[in-house]
Amino acid sequence: MTAVTDQDHTGQPDRDAEGASRTDTAAPWDDGLIARRVNGEEPSAATAARGPAPQPVTPLAYDPALRSRLDALRELIGLSRTRLDNRTLAQAGRILDEATARRRLSGQHTVVALAGATGSGKSQLFNALAGVPISETGVRRPTTAAPIACSWSDGAAPLIERLGIPPRLRRRPLQATADADERLRGLVLVDLPDHDSAAVQHREQVDRVLGLVDAVIWVVDPEKYADAMLHERYLRPMAAHAEVMFVVLNQTDRLPGEAADQVLDDLRRLLDEDGIVLGEYGEPGTTVQGLSALTGDGVGELRESLARFVSERGAPSRRIAADVDIAAARLWPVYATRRRTGLSEEAREEFSDRLADAVGATAAGEAAERAWLRNANRACGTPWLRLWRWCQERSEPSTGRVAPRGQPDEEATARQRVEQAVRTVADRACAGLPAPWAQAVREAAVRGSQGLPEALDELAVRAGLPPGRPPRPGWWPVAVLAQVSMTVLQFLGGLWLVAQIAGLMAPNLGVPVLLMAIGIVGGPLIEWSCRMAARGPARRYGLEAERRLREAAAGCGRARVLDPVAAELLRYREVREQYGRVAGVGVAGRG
Amino acid sequence: MVTLDVRPQLLDALSALRDRVAAARFPLPLAGAARARANRDELLAQLDDYLVPRLRDPSAPLLAVVGGSTGAGKSTLVNSLVGRRVSEAGVLRPTTRTPVLVCHPEDHHWFSGMRVLPDLTRVWVPHHRDPADDLLLPGENPARVLRVETADTLPPGLALLDAPDIDSLVADNRVLAAELITAADIWVMVTTAARYADAVPWHMLRTAKEYDVTLVTVLDRVPHQVVSEVSRQYGALLTKAGLGDVPRFTVPELPESAWGGGLLPATAVASLRTWLVHQTLDPAARQQVMGRTAYGVLDSLDARMPGLAGAAAAQYAAALRLTSAVDGAYDSEHARVRGRLQAGAVLAGDALKRWRAFPLDCTPGELLDTLVESLSALLLCAVAAADERVEDAWRREPAADAPELAGRERAPESAEHRIGLAVRRWRRELEEFAEDEVRELDRSVAPDPEMVAALVATALLGGRRARTAGEGLAERIGAHGALRLRDRGGRLLVAHVDGVMHAERERRLAPLDALDVHAEPQAELIAALSVLQKER
Repeated sequence: MTAVTDQDHTGQPDRDAEGASRTDTAAPWDDGLIARRVNGEEPSAATAARGPAPQPVTPLAYDPALRSRLDALRELIGLSRTRLDNRTLAQAGRILDEATARRRLSGQHTVVALAGATGSGKSQLFNALAGVPISETGVRRPTTAAPIACSWSDGAAPLIERLGIPPRLRRRPLQATADADERLRGLVLVDLPDHDSAAVQHREQVDRVLGLVDAVIWVVDPEKYADAMLHERYLRPMAAHAEVMFVVLNQTDRLPGEAADQVLDDLRRLLDEDGIVLGEYGEPGTTVQGLSALTGDGVGELRESLARFVSERGAPSRRIAADVDIAAARLWPVYATRRRTGLSEEAREEFSDRLADAVGATAAGEAAERAWLRNANRACGTPWLRLWRWCQERSEPSTGRVAPRGQPDEEATARQRVEQAVRTVADRACAGLPAPWAQAVREAAVRGSQGLPEALDELAVRAGLPPGRPPRPGWWPVAVLAQVSMTVLQFLGGLWLVAQIAGLMAPNLGVPVLLMAIGIVGGPLIEWSCRMAARGPARRYGLEAERRLREAAAGCGRARVLDPVAAELLRYREVREQYGRVAGVGVAGRG
Repeated sequence: MVTLDVRPQLLDALSALRDRVAAARFPLPLAGAARARANRDELLAQLDDYLVPRLRDPSAPLLAVVGGSTGAGKSTLVNSLVGRRVSEAGVLRPTTRTPVLVCHPEDHHWFSGMRVLPDLTRVWVPHHRDPADDLLLPGENPARVLRVETADTLPPGLALLDAPDIDSLVADNRVLAAELITAADIWVMVTTAARYADAVPWHMLRTAKEYDVTLVTVLDRVPHQVVSEVSRQYGALLTKAGLGDVPRFTVPELPESAWGGGLLPATAVASLRTWLVHQTLDPAARQQVMGRTAYGVLDSLDARMPGLAGAAAAQYAAALRLTSAVDGAYDSEHARVRGRLQAGAVLAGDALKRWRAFPLDCTPGELLDTLVESLSALLLCAVAAADERVEDAWRREPAADAPELAGRERAPESAEHRIGLAVRRWRRELEEFAEDEVRELDRSVAPDPEMVAALVATALLGGRRARTAGEGLAERIGAHGALRLRDRGGRLLVAHVDGVMHAERERRLAPLDALDVHAEPQAELIAALSVLQKER
C-alpha cells in the first residue's frame, strides 16, 4: 500500500515542484538554485524508492500495556456514552482515533515537529539539521506560513499525508548528510509556523499538527524563552509529553560567555515550574540544550540525541501513552471518586425502617399486641369486673372508634415518608459519585419509587392481620373454665350459706365460707395469672404482625428501589474499573 | 486643539463616576463576569492613576511609560535615555519585577506622594544602587511597589516609568504592567526585530488605538544589517493596523543591548530622547500630548461604561432567575403541602394505625406523638423536594456555580431539627387551647384535655378520613366549643406551616442575598456616564 502511494508521488513531485516555483517566485529563497536542487532531488528519491524492491513498511506495534489501555478507553467510551455528553468524551474519542490512525502507519518512522515562537530560528535549525536550506528563513516576521516536512528515509508518505502537508512542501535532506547520518533513518522532521504571531491561522496549524506528530522540538531563544504564551498555552498542558519533547535554546551566539549557561539554567527552572520532567542523568524526560543554528554550535549534539531517540522507535507509543494519560486526567472528575461508594448495610436498613414507618408497622404491631391483651383480659376477667366495665362503657359517650372497617383505607401509606425514604437512600447511594453517575442513580431510584406507595397500600392490606378477633392460645378455654368454676364456687358457697340461713341445711359455716373465699380470691388470682401468662403470646402476636408488615414493605422497597439502584452502582463500578485500567497506575494512586 | 484646564464640575462628575465604578460588583460567575471584573479593575485603576490626577493637575509632569514584551530591552532603553543605570537589565527573564519611575529631582514631589498610582508603595533609593527588594517591609507584596529614582539628566516635567513585561509568566506582573501603561500620558511601546509580529504586543497597540492615546513605538534590538527591511515591514504592519501616523523609532542591536553595561550610547536613542524632550518643553506640544491622551481616555468611557452596565444588568438578571427558581420551587411545594394537609395525608401510616386503635389500644399522648411526627415528615419532605427542584433548576444556571452558593452545606438534619421544633411548638399551643376549652366547660365530668387535644389534632390533620374525630370532639366539649377549638387550631396550623416554609425559603435565599446583586448599579453607571457627558 505504501509502495503504491510512493508510486503515486513519483509523478506528482515534478508537477508540484514546478507549481511551487511558479507560485513562489517572489519568495526570497527561491533564487532558482534551491528550487533546482529540490527539483533535482525528488526524482532521485523516487528512483531510490523504485530501485530496490519496495520494502514493506511494518506498521506500528504498541506494547501490550498501552494496547490494553487503549482497549479499556474504547470500552469506557462505549459504556459511558449514554451517561456523559459528547463534549466530555470528544477528546478521548479523538485520541482513540489518532492512536488507531497512527497504528496503521509506519512504525519505522518518527515524526518530529520543530515548534517555537516567531523569530526563534525554527527554520534555521531545520535547515541546519537537513543540511540544505529547505525552509525559508528571513527577517520578515512571521516567516514560515505552512508546515514543511523532510523525511530521512522512504515510506513516510502516508505519515506526512496525515499531517496534511501537500507534496510540494515535502523535502529530502541533502543526500550527503542523509548518507552520513544513517542513524537518522526514519526521522521525519516537520517545520511548523510560529504559534505567537498576530497571524491566527498559523496558531491553528500549529495546534492541529502538534496533535498528530510523535515528538516535538521546542525552539526557544534568549529573548523569548520566558514568554507566557509558550509556557501557559503549550508547555504546561503538554507536561505529560515530557518524554517526547526536546527544548533547545537557539541563538546562543547572541549571548556572551557565561550568560548562555545562566539562561539555560533559568529555562530549566521555568520548565520545572511548568511540571515538565527534565531528562537529566539518563532519566526519561525532556532534553534541554543550547545551540546555535547559525554557527552550528551544538547542532551535532542535537543530531546525536535525535539519532538515539529515533533509533529507539518508541516515540509514537510514548506519545499516545501520554495522550491517554492526559485524557484520563481530564476525565478524572467524571469517573473517579475520593470516597468509597456503594450502598452500605446501614443505609439499606434505614430505608427498610423508613418504609416500615410509612406503612405503620410499629403502630400496627403495638395495636395488635394491645388488642390481644385486651381480649385476653376481657375473657379471663371475673364476671363482676366485666359487668362493671360494661356499665362504664354505657355511661361514657362512644369515642367514635366505631370505624367502618368494612372497606380498607385509601392511601393508608404515608406518601411523604416513602418519598423521603427514597430521597434519602438515593442521596446515600450517590454520596461521592461523580455528577453524571449520581444523576443516573437518582433517576433509577425515582423511577423505582413510582407506584411504590400504591404497592405498599395494597401490600399492607394483604400482609396485615386478618380482621376480626385475634386467635387465642390453647390454654384459653381452661382459664375461662377455671374463672367460671371460681364464679360457680362463689355462687355455691353463697347458696349454701343462704340455705343454712333459711334452715334448709345443717349449719356448717366453715365449708361454704371457705368455698366463697376461694371463689372470691381465686377469681382475681386467675385473672392476674392469666394476664401474666398472656403477656408473652400477646408480645409474640404483636411482633408477628409488625414483622409481617415490615418484611413485606422491605421486600417491596428492595425490589422496586434498592435493586435498580444497586444495579446502577454496579454499572458505575464497572466503568470505574475500566477507567482504572485506562489511567494505569499513574492516576489510580490519586484515588 | 484640545486644551486642558481645571474644571471642577467635570472633576465632580468624574469622581462620582469613579465611585459608581468602584461600587460595581460582579460576583456571579457568568460568561462575561471575569471580563467585566477585569474591565472594572482596569477602568478604576486608570481613573485613579491617570485621569482624575491628570485633570486635577494639568501642570504635573508628563509620564511616559515604557512597556513591551519580555526581553524587548525596556530597562536598557530607560537606562540609556537617562544616561545612568536606574533599572536593572539582564539576560534572565523576567528582568524587571519592580517598576521604576525616573524623574527630575525637582519633580520628585509629584510622584513621592499618592497623587498618581495610589495603590503602589513607594520606595525611594537616593543615590546608591541597592536592590529595591532589600528595602521591602516584611509581608509586603514585591509586585505592588514603585521605586522612584531621580536623575537630573532628564528635563523637568518629564518622568519615565519602566514597566514589567506585558506578557510575563508571572500573572501579577502582567496585570501590573497593564495598569502602569494605562496610567501614562505617553505610551512608549517597545518591540524588537524578533518580536514585531507577536500577538500580545499588538493587542496592546490596538488598545492604544482604541483609547486614542499619545503613542510612540520603538523597534529595539534590530541587527544593523537588516535595519531598513525590518523597519519597513514593521511600518507596513502598523499602517495596516491603522497606526501609520504613530512616531516610530528604531534602535539598533549593539553588544551593550542587554548584557554588558546595560547602557546604549547616547546616539542610539538620541532621536527618541529629542522627541520626548520636545513634547515636554514645548508648551503647545505638551498640551497636545496631554490633551489627546486625557480626552482619548474620557471618550473611551463612552464605550466602556455601557459594557460594565451591561454586565451589571446581566448579573441582576441572573440573580433574579436564581431567586425565581427558589421562589417557584418553594411556592409549588407549599401549595402541595396545603393540598396534602387538606387531603389528610398526615393521618397515614403509623398515625393511621394509631388512630384505628384509638382509644382502646392507644393513649391520646401516643396518637398526638405520631401525628406530630407525621406532620414533620410531611414538611421535611416538602422542603427536601423544594431543595431538589432548586438544585435542578440551578444546575442549568451558570451563575449558580458561585462558591458562595455552591458551598452551601447540605444539612437536612438541621432542617429536620428546625421543623421538629416548629411542629412541637404547635402541639404545645394546641394542648393549651384544649385545656382552656375544657376549663371553660361547666360539666360535672370534665373530659381529659389531652384526649380533646388528640381529637382536635386528628380532626385538623386527618381531613375527610377523621370525620369521626370531629364528632367525638363535639360530643365531649359541645358543638360550639369544638368548632371554636378547631378554628383556632386550624389557624395555628396554617401559621406554623407557612412559617416553616417561609423560614426554609429564606435560608435557601440567604447566600444569594448576601451577594448583594441589585438592579441599581446598571442605572447608576449609565447615569454617571450621562452626567459626565453633559459636563464635557
